[in-house]
Amino acid sequence: MNVKEWIKTLTFYEILLGMKATLSHLLKYRPITMQYPHEKKSLPSNYRGMLALLRYDDGTEKCVGCDLCEAACPSRVIRVVSAEVPGEPTKRYSKEYYMDMTRCLFCGLCVKACPVDALGMTQEFEWAVYDKRQLHLNKEQLLAIGDRAYPVREKRLEFQHPNVAYFNVGFKNIPEKDIQ
Amino acid sequence: MATTQETKPDLVTLTIDGKSARVPKGTLVIEAARQVGVMVPHFCYHPKLTPDANCRMCLVEIEKMPRLQTSCSTPVAEGMVVKSAKSDQVEAARKSVLDFILANHPLDCPVCDQGGRCDLQDFSHEYTATKSQFQELKRVFQKEYFSPLIETQMNRCVQCLRCVRYCDQVMDVKALAPVGRGTLTEIKAFGTHELDCEFCGGCVQICPVGAITSRMSMYEFRPWMLKRADSICGYCGDGCQITYQTKNNSLIEVSSTHGSGRNNGDLCARGYFGYHVSEHPERIQTPLIRQGETFQPAIWEEALEQVGQTLLAIKQQHGPDAIAGLITGRCTNEDLYVFQKFMRGVVGTNQIDSSVRYGHLNGVRALQRVQGTHRWTVSFDDIVEADVLLLVGTNVTETNPITGLKIKEAVKRKGAKLITIEALQPAVGTISNIVNLAHHHFGVRADGFQGAVLALMKSVLETRGMAEDVKASATAYGNDLMAQLSGLAWSRLENRTGYSLSDYGHAASTFCQGKKVVILVGQDVLRASGGYGMTMNLLDLLLLTGKLSNPGCGVAPLAEENNDQGAFEMGAVSDVLPGGFSIDHAESRTAVSKHWGRSIPDSSGGALPQFLERMQSGAIKALLVVGENPLGSLPPVSGIEQALEGLQLLVCQELFMTETARKAHVVLPVCSSAEKEGTFTNTEGHVQAVRKAVEPVGDGRPDWEIFSALSIIMGDSMEYGDVKEIGKEIRNVLPGIRPLGPTPIPSKPDAMVVCGYVGGEYRRDLDSRYRLIDEQPDFSDELLVSLRQSLFHSGKFSLKADGLLKVESEGKLYVHPDEAARRNIGEGDQVDLCNDRGTIRAKVGLRERIPMGMAVFPEHFDQEMRGLLSYAVDPETQVPYYKLAQARIVKV
Ligand code: SF4
Ligand code: SF4
Ligand code: SF4
Ligand code: SF4
Ligand code: SF4
Ligand code: FES
Repeated sequence: MNVKEWIKTLTFYEILLGMKATLSHLLKYRPITMQYPHEKKSLPSNYRGMLALLRYDDGTEKCVGCDLCEAACPSRVIRVVSAEVPGEPTKRYSKEYYMDMTRCLFCGLCVKACPVDALGMTQEFEWAVYDKRQLHLNKEQLLAIGDRAYPVREKRLEFQHPNVAYFNVGFKNIPEKDIQ
Repeated sequence: MATTQETKPDLVTLTIDGKSARVPKGTLVIEAARQVGVMVPHFCYHPKLTPDANCRMCLVEIEKMPRLQTSCSTPVAEGMVVKSAKSDQVEAARKSVLDFILANHPLDCPVCDQGGRCDLQDFSHEYTATKSQFQELKRVFQKEYFSPLIETQMNRCVQCLRCVRYCDQVMDVKALAPVGRGTLTEIKAFGTHELDCEFCGGCVQICPVGAITSRMSMYEFRPWMLKRADSICGYCGDGCQITYQTKNNSLIEVSSTHGSGRNNGDLCARGYFGYHVSEHPERIQTPLIRQGETFQPAIWEEALEQVGQTLLAIKQQHGPDAIAGLITGRCTNEDLYVFQKFMRGVVGTNQIDSSVRYGHLNGVRALQRVQGTHRWTVSFDDIVEADVLLLVGTNVTETNPITGLKIKEAVKRKGAKLITIEALQPAVGTISNIVNLAHHHFGVRADGFQGAVLALMKSVLETRGMAEDVKASATAYGNDLMAQLSGLAWSRLENRTGYSLSDYGHAASTFCQGKKVVILVGQDVLRASGGYGMTMNLLDLLLLTGKLSNPGCGVAPLAEENNDQGAFEMGAVSDVLPGGFSIDHAESRTAVSKHWGRSIPDSSGGALPQFLERMQSGAIKALLVVGENPLGSLPPVSGIEQALEGLQLLVCQELFMTETARKAHVVLPVCSSAEKEGTFTNTEGHVQAVRKAVEPVGDGRPDWEIFSALSIIMGDSMEYGDVKEIGKEIRNVLPGIRPLGPTPIPSKPDAMVVCGYVGGEYRRDLDSRYRLIDEQPDFSDELLVSLRQSLFHSGKFSLKADGLLKVESEGKLYVHPDEAARRNIGEGDQVDLCNDRGTIRAKVGLRERIPMGMAVFPEHFDQEMRGLLSYAVDPETQVPYYKLAQARIVKV
């Protein structure tokens, strides 16, 4: 044992070193706890919160019931039951749509997979419940989340660009494309 | 000239993408490429269809040829050097072809049922045509509802015309047509607004994209969710390969793969759209025990105990012959085998029968008697290769659709000559009509086939004489038959059938020119009075012309139910042992009983008609009914109702509450063919594997397990671990039964048996076979009503199939429009049909193919109609005949 170490032992150098952060804060005190829920943090725009189903500007559901989100989801959150829209031959929609949010890991793959951008991730995170079953959401609930989280809605796909074909339209009363 | 050896086709050597291929001359480049593992992308080409070369997707570079060539229409040539994947020029061409197609394609893969298994998707991925040169708006077709089973989405169509060509060339239905020009071509249903056709589903299967899809499974699945199980269709005797596609233990769709099975990927409406039967909500879920007027659900132990103990008590008190059993030919071979083993070995009676008795037995018996084999001596391939086909009493399109396709292929593509003796008249309709293709058609009434058969025979033998070797080796036989035929006066035959000597002469000369002659005998012969005799006569015809033993020739009786043939071979018939041996044959009896370690009763027991009588007299106390519905199919005059009334125990193993099951004491739930393993034997005698696709509904068990359990309760245990064990036992007992394989090997006539037959055995019933059946008095006012099978149903079973009910949901009395007009009746009118047995009401439908003086009613809806039927039993084969009625028709 040399002199240097001997002095370190005598002055409790290691302990002081370990408590450096604590001791420094002891001097310049500043509260960092947020008074949630009275205070709220501002979230980054790409925050991956609660999932929602969206609508077009004419109020129709975007989801076409294609099952791709179900296929993309790594934790089997989604179940889609698709069907033909009654009275509109070959038009497809999701007759039922369920998400079991207890399993969701908010990876966003479903949102990526959706071909019509019918899914969105909102900034909502306050979804603590007393009964887990309340996290099993159906289509109406998911649409409601979308309605409150995305007040600004998109035009139907085929009206966004002249060269985009009519996508999943019942072909009964095909609207004129009023784009030049 | 008459060489049996086929000349070897010339082989051509060529190089494709550096691989050397040796293929027969005339092969198309695309096929040759496939054989060496080079997949040339294509849309319009399909091996079943004639090349159309309209899509340009299959372009390849061929050295020494100026431009790129369509490989689907270019035949190979010696020394050709083809470049497909390895050519930049080809790659660029494919890219631009795809660009053209995608210019108008809506790219709606996410909502398309083909998405995930679509050729256009696959090729687009492969050739990465991601950037389009086109700025124009995409075409949009107005969408209308297409049909209850098939839907189109023409925006997705690539205009390859495969569907149109399939419907015309393979199906001969011609229901689809391209309408419009260029990229605006649209596939539409011919004539009528809504598609009305055979609903074979072929256009759905053959469309390379999602432009034609099935309505039955629409949007219920994505291809990656489906589990597949290759099995065999459970409806008709053709035994098509089908693939059940299931999701979460429910049947989603059925398909069949090109190149597999006896059907080569083609199906009929029953197979393609009829699969929902096994998921019908009315399926029986648990065993049911009668309590007074109602049924109480029970557990298996309780139900089996009750059945077993009652059977034991009856056996002890009244002897084994107080128990009888009836099984359907829809069961697997294993079920049928264990059933008859149970009845013979454990119960100790030969009183068993199956649905073969309703007609197919006539055909099999005749084959056995003349040529010593219970199977066809031809296969479907021989039908396709035949030069002359003679169809007797079969509207094959409706009864055995795939056999029908083989005939169509033979006639339309291979130039075979077709002679038909059939009640239907040539007329175009929404479903194809085989007599439209006939070179010689004899349209006789359903009760007059015999006259035409005898007239044709007479003509053949009078103009051509018999074959030299028959003349030499079987002189007496030949002379006797000639004498019989000369005894029939031409004037009578002409009178009876309405066709002249020269008509028969033309057909006879066609018949005689054939080297490969196949005679197909249908239900309307086999199930009608004189059916056995007529099949014998047709066998005589082949014998006398020296063709019976020639390869590619034979008489082929068509089985109605999927495993009628198997029911016979497994011995589920009172007088037949497994293997088709007669029960009176002591040696076979000992051989089988040695395998079983049980004795087999030697009394023949009696067939269905006999045990109906014994049931009425009270001699039979218990009846086991497996999947059969005698009360729903036999006419009241057969006395079936009274027969069932007196039973102490009626057990039904059923899927649904049939008329018979409602009278039962115990009802046991069983598995449908989608829910169990086993084998079916098709009408050609080909044994094919049935595989389980979904779990049984409710408590349903396979039939064999029930017999096995009963045997344990009855103290004579007959245990099997699984179906394979039964299969092994069957192969031990019947070494002759052929193993599963891709193609059947047709039986050969047994020379000994043929010798015995021509040596004198034929005399037994010669006179009766060659005597014209007495003429029915001709009441000009009455109609001959014939109960026939419809294309869209099979027995009563398919009445639970959603898809099929969408096409045909009620029975109509079909008559010729002129016949109806004569009586002032229109389509959809209600009429009364009356004869001395009763009166029933029916709705009229008009069809041009029905001959005057006749009416056709689909047998599946015959509930009331049965009241009018006559009933007779064949003295030789004990087949009950009850498909015809003579009745007056009165407009309501
Ligand atoms: S965010 Fe991820 S885990 Fe959650 S539902 Fe979507 S895909 Fe599934
Ligand atoms: S949310 Fe999107 S991906 Fe999911 S089913 Fe609907 S359209 Fe398809
Ligand atoms: S389903 Fe109808 S239209 Fe399609 S191929 Fe068959 S018969 Fe033709
Ligand atoms: S519907 Fe299908 S099979 Fe028919 S032409 Fe169009 S793409 Fe071809
Ligand atoms: S019913 Fe007959 S022809 Fe039709 S798919 Fe089934 S086996 Fe084939
Ligand atoms: S496949 Fe050859 S042109 Fe269509």
